[in-house]
Amino acid sequence: MDNFSACSRSTSLWGPSRPSRTPTTPMSLSRSTSPIPGGGWATPGLDMTNGRSSPTRAASGTPAAWQQSSRLGRSPGGGSGGSGGSRKNNQYRYPSFSTRTQGFFGRHMRHLSNTLPRFNSSSSYADKEKLGRGRWSPRNTTLSGRVLSLLGRMGRKMKLRLLVLLFFLLALLVLFSSSFVHRWRRSSWWGGGGGERFVMVVGANVGGGVADWKGEKEWAIERHSLHNKKQYARRWGYDLEIVDMKTQKRYAHEWREGWEKADFLRQALQKYPKAEWFWWLDLTTYIMEPSYSLQHHIFSGLARHVYRDINEFNPLNISHPFTDPYLDAESRSPVGDGRPESIHLILSQDCSGFNLGSFFVRRSEWTDRLLDVWWDPVAYEQRHTEWPHKEQDALEELYASHPWVRKHTAFLPQRMINSFPQGACAKDDGGRDERFHYDKKDRDFLVNMAGCEFGRDCWAEMSEFKELSRHLNRSWWDRLKEDVVAAAWENMTGRKAKQ
Amino acid sequence: MHFALPPRKTSQPPPYLRPAARLPGFRRTRAKLVAIAGLVLLSLVYLIARAQTHSGSSSSSGRSHGAAPVPARTRNPSRGDRGDPPVVIVTVLDETKYTKEYLQAVRENRVQYAEKHGYKTLLATPSDYDLAEAPASWALVPAVRDALTRFPRCAYVWYLDAAGFVMNPRLKLEEDILRPAQLDKLMRRDVPVAGTDGAVKTLASLKAEDAELVLTQDGGEGLAAGSFVLRNGEWAKFFLETWFGPLYRSYKFKKAEAHALEHMLRWHSTILSRVAIVDQHVLNAYNKGAGGQEYKDGDLVVRFPSCSGKACETETRAFVQAWRRAFDAAQG
Repeated sequence: MDNFSACSRSTSLWGPSRPSRTPTTPMSLSRSTSPIPGGGWATPGLDMTNGRSSPTRAASGTPAAWQQSSRLGRSPGGGSGGSGGSRKNNQYRYPSFSTRTQGFFGRHMRHLSNTLPRFNSSSSYADKEKLGRGRWSPRNTTLSGRVLSLLGRMGRKMKLRLLVLLFFLLALLVLFSSSFVHRWRRSSWWGGGGGERFVMVVGANVGGGVADWKGEKEWAIERHSLHNKKQYARRWGYDLEIVDMKTQKRYAHEWREGWEKADFLRQALQKYPKAEWFWWLDLTTYIMEPSYSLQHHIFSGLARHVYRDINEFNPLNISHPFTDPYLDAESRSPVGDGRPESIHLILSQDCSGFNLGSFFVRRSEWTDRLLDVWWDPVAYEQRHTEWPHKEQDALEELYASHPWVRKHTAFLPQRMINSFPQGACAKDDGGRDERFHYDKKDRDFLVNMAGCEFGRDCWAEMSEFKELSRHLNRSWWDRLKEDVVAAAWENMTGRKAKQ
Repeated sequence: MHFALPPRKTSQPPPYLRPAARLPGFRRTRAKLVAIAGLVLLSLVYLIARAQTHSGSSSSSGRSHGAAPVPARTRNPSRGDRGDPPVVIVTVLDETKYTKEYLQAVRENRVQYAEKHGYKTLLATPSDYDLAEAPASWALVPAVRDALTRFPRCAYVWYLDAAGFVMNPRLKLEEDILRPAQLDKLMRRDVPVAGTDGAVKTLASLKAEDAELVLTQDGGEGLAAGSFVLRNGEWAKFFLETWFGPLYRSYKFKKAEAHALEHMLRWHSTILSRVAIVDQHVLNAYNKGAGGQEYKDGDLVVRFPSCSGKACETETRAFVQAWRRAFDAAQG
């Protein structure tokens, strides 16, 4: 088959069918199968060169072409005539195919340059034909088009891998981008923590005001305590309300110092309409374990943690439950209705009774009522000489005598929300009491340096607990540095390493 | 590659053709995709459901606003519920203060009125309750509280002092006075709680549906504790137990429980905001007095604020005859 076609072509081109037109001159060096005698493809009006645009080369021609034309006996710019009438002057140059195979680049230039990516896609390039033919040429110039084409050329496996990688990156972004995490922890959607249900109310500026200037230590205590609360609130997405207790002075005028807690809580109830639980904290508290969330630590297992029957621990000897026959069964029950949903006040008891350094109230009409009747001038007038702890004693009185208060109150073991240092509720021998005192082995949640302003050093206690909290909650990197590297350094040099 | 012979077909062809695919356009590779999508959908549903139970539990407690969840057996009737019974009439009969004959008349008066309308009565004596050295007049508070315990499904408790009679048996308490539309007309808004002047006034914006306690004033001097209506519910318990607080009882209020009541309204907004004060003719007309407080025919109640002991019997005789006639007429 091959033989046949080759044979037919050769006869049609230069076979004996058109012998008359075949020039007598010997065959040009060109191996072209040109129909024009002498070879070459002539195009009228075009300065025929070898596909090169370099004019010098075109003018001089290739040596073979020059030789050819001179052999034909035509001088440049010679007269017309001759066979065909189409040959004029020097216009017709026959392309030469003598290869310029000088050097490696000369030979492989085209090949190499074709394999290179082409970045210039500007349409101003003269040779439009070649646009968009390179390997990297942007066929669709839009980004999405390019991406689509990329995806189209990609294998399925590669796509899957890319998807996994993307998912991984997204997960990283979601898990470690703080604002996203913050919002997620606040909302109760998407399995979030529901942090917006909690508001921390911290009484600051105790002892401030005009009459009583705060010293350096008082400022430091305030700074550290508030920083601690801010960090904690930010971490879990809670709201933090810092209230100014220097208005105590105003209350002192009205005999109401101590009860401003109720007023501040009422303000907070108005200010955060979405929140459910409000956590009052005295300034002398320090959150030792910021990694505990309130939800996880207390509220998700509220029924397990609280006790509602005060007989479980009853330092005040309140007779419980009520026995008056005119009360209903719920009021006479030791645990109210027993359901965690009916708890609206959570506090703890220390060695001398209720402690309001750290307690929770829930938004409800019940809470409104409690905060309303907590302060009563008739009660105050009769009892203010017997009430050294003011609002605390008033609450004890309400709890002891009002069934409606008792059936919605619950207690937490003190060390869950309100551990004491050993200076408070101190034992005679100065030892630890399991019920009241902070124990770092148990990683208690919060320390309340209650009563430190009376004969103890608040600042020393707070800085000690602050350092302890930092130490207990070090990162693994700090642990490595301090426990391994610093110890090794000490062993080697005998000197204590600076931390 | 070439085989010498094409592979043979099996000599035992299956009796039927397997369907190419169960669903058109459903290929094995798509099954994976569908499974993943289903899983994602399920987890979304789970997350949303979880969030809703979360917010549901929190918002329900917010919505019910502390109307504490109580077990079904003691659940109070909801608003608009007619109650069973609709009204409990409470009277404390102090035998040291009144004669036997007089108290018998009071008893009959309450029972007959209650029977006529399907109400219940709770007729107590001060010795039924432990008042801890407080005056015997305080017994009314635990007596009303007792009524809430004994009739947990009642809608209202009406406390009417022993020094008073129901005069108009035709009036139905929950229809003619306490129905929100009716109470809305009777309530006196933005008036001083006690006396003719005073900074503490009843709420101007109080809706009749929100009123928990219907009270009258006492001849323009203070609040009258001799006749009031309390709606059953958590607020009522809160109110009564606070009123009965030992520090109120031990405080030497000049008029004991009546002044304690006034004190509560003055100082505690959660109480004041649920109190509707009505005209004395509605619940508490006096047999004699000035300023339009005195009883006139058609009033529900007549009270004798200043009577005591033997004098009471003579002072009230005319009214006893009047209510017996009225009740007979209503019967017939």
